[in-house]
Amino acid sequence: MKSYDDILIELCAILAPYANNNLILDEGTELVSDIGLDSLQVMQILLEVEDRFDISIPLNIIPDVRTIKDFVLQLEHLTRQS
Amino acid sequence: MKPTPTENRVPLRPGEFDNLSEALDYAARGVTGCNFYTGKGELYTVVSYAELREQAQTLARRLQGLGLPRGTRVALLADTSPDFIRFFFACQYAGLVPVPLPAFIHLSNRSVYVEQLRALLVICQASVAVAPLAFLPFLTEASEGLDLRFVGSPEDFGALSEGTNALSPLGSDEVAYLQYTSGSTRFPRGVMITQQAVLNNLSGIIKHGLAVRSFDRCVSWLPFYHDMGLVGFVLGPVASQLSTDYLSPRDFAMRPRQWLSLIAKNSATISFSPTFGYDLCTRRFRQEDATALDLRSWRVAGAGAEMIRHESLANFAKALNGTGFNANAFMACYGMAECSLAVSFAPVFQGLEIDRVDRDYLSERQVARVAPNGTGDGNRSGVSSFVNCGKPLPEYEIQIRNEEGRELGDRECGTIFLRGPSIMTSYCGDADATQEVLSPDGWLNTGDVGYRVKGHLFITGRIKDLIIINGRNIWPQDLEYLAEQQPEVRPGDASAFSVSGVDGEELAMMVVQCGEFTGIQGGNLIDRLQRMIREELGINCFIELARPHTLPRTSSGKLSRSRTRQDFLQRRGQLFSNESKHASSELARECGATG
Repeated sequence: MKSYDDILIELCAILAPYANNNLILDEGTELVSDIGLDSLQVMQILLEVEDRFDISIPLNIIPDVRTIKDFVLQLEHLTRQS
Repeated sequence: MKPTPTENRVPLRPGEFDNLSEALDYAARGVTGCNFYTGKGELYTVVSYAELREQAQTLARRLQGLGLPRGTRVALLADTSPDFIRFFFACQYAGLVPVPLPAFIHLSNRSVYVEQLRALLVICQASVAVAPLAFLPFLTEASEGLDLRFVGSPEDFGALSEGTNALSPLGSDEVAYLQYTSGSTRFPRGVMITQQAVLNNLSGIIKHGLAVRSFDRCVSWLPFYHDMGLVGFVLGPVASQLSTDYLSPRDFAMRPRQWLSLIAKNSATISFSPTFGYDLCTRRFRQEDATALDLRSWRVAGAGAEMIRHESLANFAKALNGTGFNANAFMACYGMAECSLAVSFAPVFQGLEIDRVDRDYLSERQVARVAPNGTGDGNRSGVSSFVNCGKPLPEYEIQIRNEEGRELGDRECGTIFLRGPSIMTSYCGDADATQEVLSPDGWLNTGDVGYRVKGHLFITGRIKDLIIINGRNIWPQDLEYLAEQQPEVRPGDASAFSVSGVDGEELAMMVVQCGEFTGIQGGNLIDRLQRMIREELGINCFIELARPHTLPRTSSGKLSRSRTRQDFLQRRGQLFSNESKHASSELARECGATG
């Protein structure tokens, strides 16, 4: 099972190509307002995350994910279930 | 599990029904139906039309058990699922009016989505609301304090007792459904379509537009809350008894190649997408996919719902080289929810036909004069290319009018007006908006601009203020509202519109006038607004701050978005290779419109 920190590192690696070079990604980074993801980019990221962690992300958690930390917590929960 | 077959047992009946329940009654006599696939391409539910009819009638009796008056609105959260179709037809049999609600969700937009659902429930005065379990918490929150008889998941409906009266389906002059034309939170517009109107349009689509044959099979990933997804690919297949394979829009956006795999797997013949969907496939397509896919069966690859960018479609066909995809399958079409769905289709299997016109002549004189031979395409050539969207369906009368309302001739560019039996009755509960577009003698002002050549329609742009991004309608009012909520901005000080990006795709722009239009404070305002717009609408928007009194107004003092746009293009002239045509890549980058 992956730890919170492992997931955080892997998630940041997935997000890095979408972020501006000057932006340092950390737990508090907001996905939409800081990184500037539009709706199609979000779909691409969900795909990469699903493939990397071998999980299926339920639609209903998406609107509650604001920061990288929110996302990691959800992934931690989902990987524990799978 | 096996998908429903393509070949049917009953003869093809191309539309020609009095109402939607009658269309399903006939389809239920055959063996065709709907098939639902996961994002990984696995078939998870098969519902034949015979089963659909039975299930819809059982549900209809449960709805009847609630004792609702005829014509009561039933809001259905339109996630791509068999339950949506079951409930949609249950309403038809029970004499109730279904209202699809958007299932579009985005990161961190919970409160925005709930607020949006609430506004849509209020406008249509829904008495019942249904959502799949995953969406139910949003719908429940949205309906708090509203006077609804029942809010629940399809499973909750299973527990209701059935009414005992004979079912009395919606008749031909009753409203068939209510269709929201945008996901606008604050300015939603619900189009009211009668049974007669939609069935008339469906017959036209099936017979004249697609020339449906008994060997046809559809594949669709289009949202069920979108006119092309609902009318084109839920109601259309029922009214022509075709089997259809469904993929959800979210699964398509994540794995666009699944769309093509499904077409190949079941030898489908008809599938549509806005241009952006073809673009998405091209970007994600790998050469090794080509050898694994056989797309020879695909005879109608429709394009509509946003301006058709022929270069994108050409790139798609090129990327698919080796799959057997034939570019002649491309079919340009034009339509809108206010006309049920379809207005015109290019001829079947003739590919895209491009009209190349003199750009300067068009912008100065509003006449689409054919460009001299040998002139190149592109930004510097002085040539604009428009796609032939074909002849309007025979049911329509069409006029192209200039600003004074005079009817124009061939190749003269003006606003497109339509009259015919498929046109909406009104916008729900909005007499002013209805009056703006629909004249007492039945002419609909489409808000689109174009010209005709020998009866064929070419769309060149829009005068209505709609912005279309990735096939989604975005209302400028929603962007302006967000700006006006900022302490630095007063009401009426923001104006939003769209311009074309480098590849012809639309980019959202907004000019905001305020005192703090430069420096750090200005930068903060831009940054804050862009964040809010991304969170609410999931799009990037370019924001320009301007001095007070910059925004042009009409003689009656109303904000003029089209003149703001013209002024903006002039100010930014050096960034544009030609007025109003293509934003430079520099501007596109500023807008964050990355591929």
